[in-house]
Amino acid sequence: MTPAALPLAIEIKNLTKDFPLNLRGVKLRAVENLTLSVPEGRVFGLLGPNGSGKSTTIKIILGLLEPTVGECKVFGVPSGRVDSRLNVGYLPEAPYFYRYLSGTELVCFYARICGVPRKRLDERVREVIDWVGLSGAAQRRVGTYSKGMLQRIGLAQALVHDPRLIILDEPTAGVDPVGSAEISELILKLKAQGKTVLITSHLLAQIEDVCDRVAILDRGKLILEGDVNELVGQRDRQALIVDPLSPEQLDELRGWLAARGHALNAVEQPRARLDQLFISRVSRPDKGGQK
Amino acid sequence: MNATTGGVPFSFSRLLIVAGNTFTEAVRQKLFNFLLLLAVGLVASAQFFREFNFGSSELKFISDFGLGAMVFFGSTLTIAATAQLFFSEIENRTALTILAKPIWRTEFIFGKFLGVFAVIGVFCALTTLLLAGLLCSRENSLMALHPDAFPNGRLIHYGDLMVMGVLQWLKFGVLAAITLLIASFSNTNLYTVVMSFFMLVICHLQYLAHDAYAQVASLPLRLLVRMLGYVFPNFQVFNLADQVAIGSGLDAGVVLRVAGYALVYIAVIGGLAVYSFRNREI
Ligand SMILES: Nc1ncnc2c1ncn2[C@@H]1O[C@H](COP(=O)(O)OP(=O)(O)OP(=O)(O)O)[C@@H](O)[C@H]1O
Ligand SMILES: [Mg+2]
Repeated sequence: MTPAALPLAIEIKNLTKDFPLNLRGVKLRAVENLTLSVPEGRVFGLLGPNGSGKSTTIKIILGLLEPTVGECKVFGVPSGRVDSRLNVGYLPEAPYFYRYLSGTELVCFYARICGVPRKRLDERVREVIDWVGLSGAAQRRVGTYSKGMLQRIGLAQALVHDPRLIILDEPTAGVDPVGSAEISELILKLKAQGKTVLITSHLLAQIEDVCDRVAILDRGKLILEGDVNELVGQRDRQALIVDPLSPEQLDELRGWLAARGHALNAVEQPRARLDQLFISRVSRPDKGGQK
Repeated sequence: MNATTGGVPFSFSRLLIVAGNTFTEAVRQKLFNFLLLLAVGLVASAQFFREFNFGSSELKFISDFGLGAMVFFGSTLTIAATAQLFFSEIENRTALTILAKPIWRTEFIFGKFLGVFAVIGVFCALTTLLLAGLLCSRENSLMALHPDAFPNGRLIHYGDLMVMGVLQWLKFGVLAAITLLIASFSNTNLYTVVMSFFMLVICHLQYLAHDAYAQVASLPLRLLVRMLGYVFPNFQVFNLADQVAIGSGLDAGVVLRVAGYALVYIAVIGGLAVYSFRNREI
């Protein structure tokens, strides 16, 4: 199925955003002539170096900023309108919440704003807090949370009304490898439920693991867009991982391959990735620190 | 951000949720703790007046002093709390998360206003009750000491004192709306506080310009002053304190007119704040 055949969750056309820098009319072009569509049900990664306009694009999608030129639609509704946000959950970068509320109160507040029915409110709030692994700290004031815990409560807040589109701006910034792996898992779970996810991150390994499709921005311009498999997959090569072979066996294998017209390109010692090592050794988080 | 009728109708309950959250935040920031200090100060100064033994005019003293303290601290609280509660949303980036939900900016701004208005309401209610208590206890003891100074019974109109408290509350509401309007387009908390105090002074003193120019100036200047008189609310109209203690009592018609005056200004200034906030980039 080509992406064009799917209904679009986000549709951005010829979007340009200028920020006025001073009163003399000097402007900073944060996004330039960007055209981008995110098909429904996909996990879409928006990549780019610092200051390339990722967060600005996201804020325009959410109607927090007005585009200078161009248009942006969410599920077919222009993004300035209130109803374009009915089915959207958003986690801002480096979130920071009402410090005087407890985790439960905070999620409850956002749930009520989104119109989660009163009957299901408590249950739903408990459910999402459990989902992001914060049940142990749910009664604590948000002001006492660590950076990673803030990201998690932000995630809970973004998911509480069960939106169809979830926009995550650097969800793994400041989260430890175990936590990022959990967030990746969560994103895959959301995808399995048929949700659309738009995610920005500087952890390319993570993006590669969860995203179906990526776009790369540089200084506000789109420089590359495509399916992850097409972009990084090496179709014409394969890797085999085997038990250690002696030099004679290796020569035998070379001969066997040569007889069939193949070449052995490389013999390497595979290494465990440091993050996998970390995850296997570090204790799973105790759901928010009941120590 | 335009007022096109999207699928989401304006919701008063969402507005109340924002207001409730604002109120909770104010309470948990311990904004009310300073009320305790204020109470101690009022009681102590009432004690101090007693030393001079003014007789019945002592009551007028206490009442003037109490209402003066209420105006002073109330204005400060209004400006500081409004600016703080608004900018905490901007600076903590909670405005981003909340405005990314299906909520009208109108609901957000009026929710903020209502939250602050409730905070000031609690302040006004408590100070008015405290003042009434002080006056009542002192009046009782004075009546026992000099019965001849009270030929017609009590001198203080307690009901009017309560009405006065409500009028002050409405005035602070106008001030909160002004502060919110300034906050809606300014970038910093400090700028908002300074500008709001400046506006407070103008609103208190504009009647002077009005009086001074009403007779002497040429017609265009007179019209200008008159127009400014409409642009800036005149806070002097809320000053009915003289009639409360040992006065003739409040006139119901005047009270209603003053209350209406406040509500109209709150609605108009609040509307302007919404308009300016709609175009703000968060
Ligand atoms: N309110 C603003 N006023 C002026 N310039 C801004 C504003 N917001 C963003 N910019 C500028 O727009 C450009 C894009 O910023 P943006 O936050 O979108 O980058 P980003 O891709 O999210 O970067 P990062 O990876 O660091 O989060 C930057 O040069 C930034 O300085
Ligand atoms: Mg960013």
